[in-house]
Amino acid sequence: MKHPAVLVIAALALLPLVVRHAIATEILIFAIFGLGLNLLLGYTGLLSFGQATFFGSAAYVAGYLLKYYGIGIFTALAIGVGVGALSALLVGYLCVQRSGLYFIMLTFALNQLFYFVAYQWTSVTGGEDGMPGIPRPALLGIDFRQPLAYYVLVAALFLLALWVMKRIVDSPLGTILQAIRENEVRAEAVGYNVPRFKLLAFVIGGAFSGFAGVLYAMLFGIVPLEAIGFVFSGNVVFATLIGGSGSLYGPIIGSVVFIWLSESMSVMWARWPLLLGVAFVIVVLFFRGGVVEAWARIWRFSKRAT
Amino acid sequence: MLYALMGLGLALITGILNIPNFAHGALFAVGAYLLVTVVGAIGNFWLALVVAPLGVALLGIAIEYAGIRRLYAAGHDYQLLFTFGLALILNELIIVIWGPVGISHLPPAILRGGVDLGFTFYPKYRLFVMLLAGLLVVATWLFLERTRYGAIMRAGIENKEMVSLLGIDIQRLFTAAFALGAYLAGIAGALTAPIRGLSPGMGADMLGIAFVVVALGGLGNLLGAIAAGLLIGVAQAVVAAYWTEASTAVIFAVMAAVLLVRPQGLFGIR
Repeated sequence: MKHPAVLVIAALALLPLVVRHAIATEILIFAIFGLGLNLLLGYTGLLSFGQATFFGSAAYVAGYLLKYYGIGIFTALAIGVGVGALSALLVGYLCVQRSGLYFIMLTFALNQLFYFVAYQWTSVTGGEDGMPGIPRPALLGIDFRQPLAYYVLVAALFLLALWVMKRIVDSPLGTILQAIRENEVRAEAVGYNVPRFKLLAFVIGGAFSGFAGVLYAMLFGIVPLEAIGFVFSGNVVFATLIGGSGSLYGPIIGSVVFIWLSESMSVMWARWPLLLGVAFVIVVLFFRGGVVEAWARIWRFSKRAT
Repeated sequence: MLYALMGLGLALITGILNIPNFAHGALFAVGAYLLVTVVGAIGNFWLALVVAPLGVALLGIAIEYAGIRRLYAAGHDYQLLFTFGLALILNELIIVIWGPVGISHLPPAILRGGVDLGFTFYPKYRLFVMLLAGLLVVATWLFLERTRYGAIMRAGIENKEMVSLLGIDIQRLFTAAFALGAYLAGIAGALTAPIRGLSPGMGADMLGIAFVVVALGGLGNLLGAIAAGLLIGVAQAVVAAYWTEASTAVIFAVMAAVLLVRPQGLFGIR
């Protein structure tokens, strides 16, 4: 990967030729979601099992405003980023004090809190039926109801998100976060306020989730209740891990594999989460390290065979 | 009381095995469905109440043996993914085997109807569940506090290396702890079946509550888990009486409020 930027852009151009436009768009949205999680999981070493909290909250708030107040796309996205960051600030404030198992369980439990609020607040969220009728407003005379036009928009925003994330990861902040991942006690000893930096990473991750959430709501025209449910949080963790959480591009590869896999499984069988569960178990037992490592292993194996 | 059972089982698993067990809710649901199936097959509620949780415990042993055992050295992320995948599998299998529609199940004839407690009229079955769950909690507590095996388990929470240095088979301890945790989840599920009926989503709902109980109790604190389970149950019952819609959300709100004041949990020391 000498020129990852070239590769990414080429992949973006090829993607809509290979799969349906809606799926291609979904992959990119999921990849943005994964980028946000990976800042926590891959760079800071924080396993958040509640990313759907921020994704869903932003989707609901922005969706509501899009539907009833007719705001524009960029206003909606800005609001989504704000809601994602704010909800992550609230959740993160409670969670960053703890580490390890506790952190995972707390992010999950707070995810459930938001889920049940969305589930019961039917007058706004539509409860189990979801919040339908979210428009994709036109911009500069371009009608984004066209699937390809929307794909191009999402692809451009995806590049923006990737660029921002790369800047964050390469910045001093990114280095500090990695130091926390490697050795929290030492990072603290060197003088960094570890909880503060963890919270900052959490808020940035939440902002990315919120950004993706708004794009998701506009893609499907609905905010389904699942968008804030913990299965969604688990999916993004899975996608990031199968891509390989060690690298910036891992979640992107993971999203391609995950969305493609789940789309093709869901048309095969209504009980496809069963297959998904089996896939989780198999990956964990046999292919830890993600696609990248699995590839390396197969390569070694074929070399030995010859 | 049921929350205390769930929380105690999960606290054992998280404390000793140090893994996030996202399959705990699914084990709870399997317990409930097994009970209904066994009652349907042999027509005896009492026998089913013995058999169903044992079945869940066996399932727990199988899970620990085939999967979790290989993952102690892996990170929490993979452990989480594994148990989460298991939860998905169990949940979908429940739908495949028993159907997606909820099932209602009546308590045995003796326990139908209510008793007049003087100030209020209370369903007999709920009273029975409270008593039995209370007994189970006390029995588990005595087992952990007063017996040799219990002492080994508690020592396992404190310091695994030391325990294995003393010549105790730590693998077997892990399996036993997971089986006991699964048993408690299974019996909680079995007891719940006649109260709330069964639905495929019951496991996921319970999972969140069990996590709250453990987080509130303090990690590795078994007594704390029992107390937190009681607290959550009471809080939910009180809120349900005034504002039914919020009764589930309030569990998580209580947790958030407590953690704001005491980040280490109600009884946590670490």
